Amino acid sequence: MTARLRAAALVAGLAMTGYGLFGLLDDPYITAPVDILVWAVGGLVLHDGLWVPLLCLVGAYAARGPVLRGWLVVAAAVTAVGLPAVLRADDDHGNPSVLPLPYLRNWLLVLAATAVLALLLGLVRRRRNPPVSRPERREDPS
Amino acid sequence: MPPPPEALRRGPFRAGTFRSPLHEPRTTVVLGRWLGAAVLVCFLTGLAGHLLQDPPAWLSGVLPARPVDGYRFTQGLHVVSGIAAIPLTGAKLWTVYPRLFEWPPARSVLHALERLGIAVLVAALLLELFTGLLNTLQWYPWPFPFRQTHFWLGWLATGGLLVHLAAKAPLIARNWRRPQASVPGRRAFLASVTAAVGAVTLTTAGQTVPWLRGLDLLAPRRPDIGSQGLPVNRTAAQAGTVTVPADWRLRVDGPQPYTLDLDDLARLPQHDAVLPIACVEGWSASARWTGVRLADLLALAGAPTGTAVRVTSLEADGPYRVMEMPAQYVDDPLTLLALRVNGETLNADHGFPARIIAPNRPGVLQTKWVARIEVVR
Repeated sequence: MTARLRAAALVAGLAMTGYGLFGLLDDPYITAPVDILVWAVGGLVLHDGLWVPLLCLVGAYAARGPVLRGWLVVAAAVTAVGLPAVLRADDDHGNPSVLPLPYLRNWLLVLAATAVLALLLGLVRRRRNPPVSRPERREDPS
Repeated sequence: MPPPPEALRRGPFRAGTFRSPLHEPRTTVVLGRWLGAAVLVCFLTGLAGHLLQDPPAWLSGVLPARPVDGYRFTQGLHVVSGIAAIPLTGAKLWTVYPRLFEWPPARSVLHALERLGIAVLVAALLLELFTGLLNTLQWYPWPFPFRQTHFWLGWLATGGLLVHLAAKAPLIARNWRRPQASVPGRRAFLASVTAAVGAVTLTTAGQTVPWLRGLDLLAPRRPDIGSQGLPVNRTAAQAGTVTVPADWRLRVDGPQPYTLDLDDLARLPQHDAVLPIACVEGWSASARWTGVRLADLLALAGAPTGTAVRVTSLEADGPYRVMEMPAQYVDDPLTLLALRVNGETLNADHGFPARIIAPNRPGVLQTKWVARIEVVR
């Protein structure tokens, strides 16, 4: 049963991948599929070659403690989603209902609000488990 | 395979470079479950939206006009799950990141194929999330067309996901249930990722979820901002329809063709319909539309029920200038040729002098600036 399910997932996945590839190459509107390849590989290289190593270095050397790390995870997500709007805030192609909000202010507001929540969480944790003096321990990198 | 030369065992290739205990299968499986669910929801809702917007001939006659909010729901969910997938993808890829540097790079042909498959999956998923997010801002910095590329990459990413699940099935099964001993920091890490998903969802979902409107801080739309209190995707200025010709008449072509001016239309029985205007970009807003039932206009032209129509806009060009409407929408009593919205006469941005509004249809098919309605069969 499990083996059959596994085989079915494999076959369906390969078929869907093949269908997607065929579609990309066959679509009349996509005149240069190589452009998509360049962007896809470029994204992979930027993500795995630049962004994740940077993240690991920050995690290893700058971010101490679970609360600060947790807030950094939240801040990174909010930034990934919000930064494009911040960068494009004034570019609505003459349509005032596109990007109508003060995105820079809102982004900073969300960062600040989540930072305050993280700070409160950190204080609560400290009250519950007061820090005992212990030898300095290097945090695990990444 | 011989052991690797020492010269290559540097940086990330050196054993022990990644010391976090969270680079382990159980954390990956927990995140993978959430991400897999988000990707599948994205794929299915995207497919539903695609079929409603661009139906193949065999399907167009059977697409339902109900539920009224169907398209709004699927496309809202599409963008919500896509945005949630952004932090999930980041966290999931971080947990498996050390595997990128495993040695030897390929143990067998099958292993090499599996790694190639993962590269396709990750590349397609990253580009899919990136293009999808930027599309919601109407920002297209890439040289390829968005809609077609996004659609086909969706098949690649979801197919790649299924292959990945099949390949990793034993590992996933071993780590599906919570083990007795927990890895230090896992709970805090998963809580952080949950908080990140919550933060990006709460600050963007208000573009379509009414009770989250107050928290809509980062979404590219707010459903109450726009001319006449509603967003628009294409303004009259963008479509070149700011001024309507003085001799505008609605032309209805059927067995008994006729034309009507605005006063004639206003004298016909008027009906109200509370319907959402919903966009594939993830925003939607409900409004009370008032106008003439499309079915009444078709009856005046002598067309029997079960008739499909073609609606043509005044706009000079645009991919949705001509819209085909299958019979089930034409016959629906909620489908209107609307003249008013929320009690006001439609302004130019909302399609003055008249626009189509129908239940469970993509915004681009709610044709504005209607000039002609013709029976197609």
